[in-house]
Formats: sequence, C-alpha cells, structure tokens
Amino acid sequence: MPPVVEMQGITKVYRSGGGARVVEVRALAGVNLTIEQGEYVAIMGPSGSGKSTLMHVIGLLDSPTSGSYKLGGVETSGLAEPELAKVRNQRIGFVFQAFFLLPKLTALHNVALPLVYRGLGPAERLRRARAALESVGLGDRLDHRPSELSGGQKQRVAIARALVQEPDILLADEPTGNLDSHSSEEILALFDSLNKEGKTVIMVTHEPDVGARAQRIIRLRDGLIVGRMGETA
Amino acid sequence: MNPLENFRMAFEALSGNRLRSFLALLGIVIGVFAVTTMVSLGEMASAGITRDIEGIAGRSIFIQPDFNNGANFDSAPIRDEDIQSLQALPVKVIPQLFGDIQYEPKPGDRRSLQLQGTPGGLPGLDPTTKIARGRYFSESEAKAGLPLAVLSDRAAKDLFPSSNPVGQVARLFFADGSRADLTVVGVLEPPSGIFGGFGSSSTVYAPIPYLWASGNFRRDRYDFVLLSLNKGADAAQVQNQVRRIFENRYGKGKYSIQSTESFQSTLRNITLILQALLGAIAGLSLLVGGIGIMNIMLVSVTERTREIGLRKALGATAALIRQQFLIEAVVLTLLGGILGVVLAVGLLALISALVPFFGVFVLSPVTVILALRVSALVGLFFGVWPAARAAALDPIEALRFE
Repeated sequence: MPPVVEMQGITKVYRSGGGARVVEVRALAGVNLTIEQGEYVAIMGPSGSGKSTLMHVIGLLDSPTSGSYKLGGVETSGLAEPELAKVRNQRIGFVFQAFFLLPKLTALHNVALPLVYRGLGPAERLRRARAALESVGLGDRLDHRPSELSGGQKQRVAIARALVQEPDILLADEPTGNLDSHSSEEILALFDSLNKEGKTVIMVTHEPDVGARAQRIIRLRDGLIVGRMGETA
Repeated sequence: MNPLENFRMAFEALSGNRLRSFLALLGIVIGVFAVTTMVSLGEMASAGITRDIEGIAGRSIFIQPDFNNGANFDSAPIRDEDIQSLQALPVKVIPQLFGDIQYEPKPGDRRSLQLQGTPGGLPGLDPTTKIARGRYFSESEAKAGLPLAVLSDRAAKDLFPSSNPVGQVARLFFADGSRADLTVVGVLEPPSGIFGGFGSSSTVYAPIPYLWASGNFRRDRYDFVLLSLNKGADAAQVQNQVRRIFENRYGKGKYSIQSTESFQSTLRNITLILQALLGAIAGLSLLVGGIGIMNIMLVSVTERTREIGLRKALGATAALIRQQFLIEAVVLTLLGGILGVVLAVGLLALISALVPFFGVFVLSPVTVILALRVSALVGLFFGVWPAARAAALDPIEALRFE
C-alpha cells in the first residue's frame, strides 16, 4: 500500500507587491514528508512556521510552488480545479478549529453536505450521515441545529461530517482550539479511537499535550521540518 | 451533482432569510407587475377599441369624396348608378345625405341640428342603428317621399324636452328658410362605448327622396355611402373592389374609402406604441429591481464567504458554487416574477370588473410566460457577477474570513 502522503521538495512561495518591490515569502522551503496509512501525526510549530500552509497543501486547498505531492500514490500537481475538488471530496476529511457548520442546517444535513457533491441521492446521504453521527455518539442530536449544540458536540458533528466522506486522511486544524478542557479531552479521545480503527489522522496544533497524543510529531520552523518525534528542534 | 440539489439549497438559503429575500425581490415584483399590467392593459384597450368601434360603426366601409385632396361633390360624385354597382358586393349599401336643419325652441331663436338622409329600414341594413322608441320609416315610405323623421337620442331631447316625440310633428327649417314639418316615427338608442361621443350628435334622420324633393339636395346624388359588411366578407377585399369601381369611373385618388378595420388598426397601432412606451418605462423598474438583486446577492456572497470556503473544502467545484448562486438569484427573481404576475392578474381583474371600457379581460399566456422568462433572465443577468465572485473565492481566504 502506498503512503497516504508522500512529499518531495515541496515549496510554497507567496508573492506580494508588484514591479521592483515584489516581496517573496517562502512559507514552505522544501518539505520532504511521508505519512503512512493508519498513522497519527501532529504537525507543530510556532506561528509563521508554515504549518498552516503545509496543512492546506496536504488538504489540496493550496497548491505548492514546486515539488511533488503524491496523495495515496497519485501525483496531485497538475490537477485542475474540478479534479482537486473531487479528490478533496473523496480523500480528505477536514476538521476545523471553528467547526464551520452551516447554522441553518441540522446536524444531520450538515453531515450529509459533502455527499451532495458526490452526487448521492438524498435518502442515501441521510442514511450515511445518520450512521456517521451515531458513530460519534450524536445519534440523539440529528435534528439539532449548531446553535443548539455545545462546542464539543459541534466538533463531533464536524468530525462526523469528515467521517461520512470515508476519507484517506482526517485533517484536523487545531480541533480543540475553541473547546474547554473537558470537551477537548472528549474530542481527542475520539481521534484516538478513530486512529485505532485504522484512520490516518493528521493534526495541526500548537499545544504540546495535544501533540503528545500523536505517534509522531513533525516540527516546522521557517518552512522546513526541523525535528521529528524524539528529536529536538 | 444533481442541479435540483442547488434549487433545493437555493430555497433553503432564501427561506432562511425570509424578510431580506422578500425585500430584495420586491423590486422585481413591482417591475414584473408594472410590465404585465401595462402590456395587458394595452391589449385590453385594443380589445375595447375594437369592440366599441364595431359597436358604433360595425364592420363597415365609408365612401365619400376625398376632400383633403381637393375633391368635391362635382369632381367625385356619388350617383345612383354607383350605388347600383355597389349592390353586387357582399355588403348592405346605405347611401346617405348630410346637411343641417334648424328648429325654433322659441320664436326667433333658431338652432341647428344635423340632418341625415337615409334609405328606409336603416336598422335592418346597419346593425349599429337601434331603435329605442317607435320605429324607423320603411323603405316604401321613404320611396314615397313622406315627411317622416327619426330622431337621435339627443335630437329627441332637444326638440321634445318634456314629451314623447313619437307621433308628434317636428317643425323644422331648411337652410333656404323653407319649412319642413316632419312626423316623428321613432327615436334611436344612444350609442355606447367610449367612442359613443362621436355618434351622440343631435341628428334628424329623414327619407332621401323627401330631401331631394325639398330642393335642398341635388337629385340623384349622395353625400356619402356606408357599406355594412355582410358576415364573413373580407373588409380589405371589398375595399379594393369599391376603389376599383370608383377609379374606373371617375379616376384615381378622388374618393376616400375607409374601413372601420383600418380605423381600428390605426387606433390599435397607437395603443401598441403606448403599450411599448409604458412597457419600456415599467421595464426600467425591472432593471432597478435587477440591480437590487445583484446588490443583495453580493451581500449574500460576502456574508457566506465561510460557507463558500467550507463547501469548496468539502468538494464543491467553482462551477457548482457559481451554479448555486446563479440559481439562487434566478429563484429569487422568478419568485418575484410569479408574485408580480399574480398581483397584475388581481389588478387587471379588478379593472375589467369596474371599468366597462376594459371589460374584456385579456391576459395572454404569452405575456405571462414572457414576464416569467424575463424575470428569470434578470436573475441570471444580475446574478452572474455575484456568482462569479463566489466561485472565484480562494477557499483558504474564505475559511479564514471573519
């Protein structure tokens, strides 16, 4: 089985300004990274280190300036926007710090949303969404709107929304950043158990105790990987 | 993805913001309402004009010397032989004389009335002439030159303000001062419709032979001829045949030969121009409404930046996002269009019930379909830019958006 993520010499350069005053920012300066199926990886680093950019590149929300990125063995550079959208839909499950649930939709319909873009019929979508919500312990909150849910519940809905896609990667960006310690623990336990079931989890965080739950920590500084688990930066 | 999903999402998004959606589509409602009402009122006016003109004049053709082009009764006469020739056409021929006659409400005070010489039995020839009281003088009475008269409704009121004129003798005076004592045998109904005013003159109808005999009209000459078309006769064709008869005998361009249909089509053209003008003005409000839609869609795109970013992260392509917002705009304007048409139908029904001239309720499906199609197009047109902005949003920026 090919690695889920296989990166070779990934750079990302942002240009701003114009003419003679072009300012270049190297957010990623040549990242080599391999993540195997079923791993639980934390990406850590101070702000400005490029960890968000790395996450966006992994999630195909952003494309690298140079380098090769194989997702599940498939080269992604050169894919056009509709193909990238399709790959995101099928392979990447995002979990965001701010949940990003649509406030007007019930938990069930929020979870079913990615399947709309997969072209599934309403009945099948809702069936799968219900199963996903039940798997995160929210089988009794199907018809609640986000405003009627606690922070921890909202994040579990968001995780269910990622799970319903049956993605290759669960890509979580500071998933406990907006939660109290009790809810954080709940969510992290959920990630633990999802990883035990075989899901690949990649989590961006700046909290050491969150990162500590991962099998491997990738530390970034100035756009480069400066240390892995066990090593020091 | 099934496009129906986008329709469903559009309804969800719009119903989630009911007040704002309603206010946004109000401009379209007013625009479609105005256009539909204007166009339909124009059609109803056309129908009213057609009906009213047929009410006064029937389907008929008028022949008289073309006075505007310098013709007169000498250069363009209407003779008995011409009348004979016209009898061959699918029409009822009603030759007439036209002049005036005076009456004396008080000694020494003479006032004029219109005088019209007609054949006997006019109501049988011209369906628009209707007897209210008494009868019309018969053809044999007319041929015998009897001193009989039928009065228009107004003439009856002028001559006999307080009594039933039928059976009384009206004392009248010709232009040369000679006296004419005419026995009134009937009174006509007043004409109806908004053009009724044209026919509501104070007129005395008398037999043609009697008027010839009075010495005030040239014998065997007529002033004009009214041809009342038989059912199924083609006005334009008959008009050409009439023109040929007169041109062959008297030369080109001396007669004015008008049909009510050409008169109707002139009036219809006028209403059509008015209709187009008012429709265009009303169309402006549709434009303003469209700009309102664009504005609200732009606001909506900004407000839902994070939603757009999320949808993209979850696998929506730019094309689907564009489609989503376009459909939302179209659903919005289409709803506005439907509401506008419904309001217009209500108002038009009310108008046609209350205003007799607009009595014919016309709302052609063409107008309705056109109104709905235009409102959908307005949504499409004014939705393009907001939708393009939504589609172009960078998902990372969009998700970062506060």
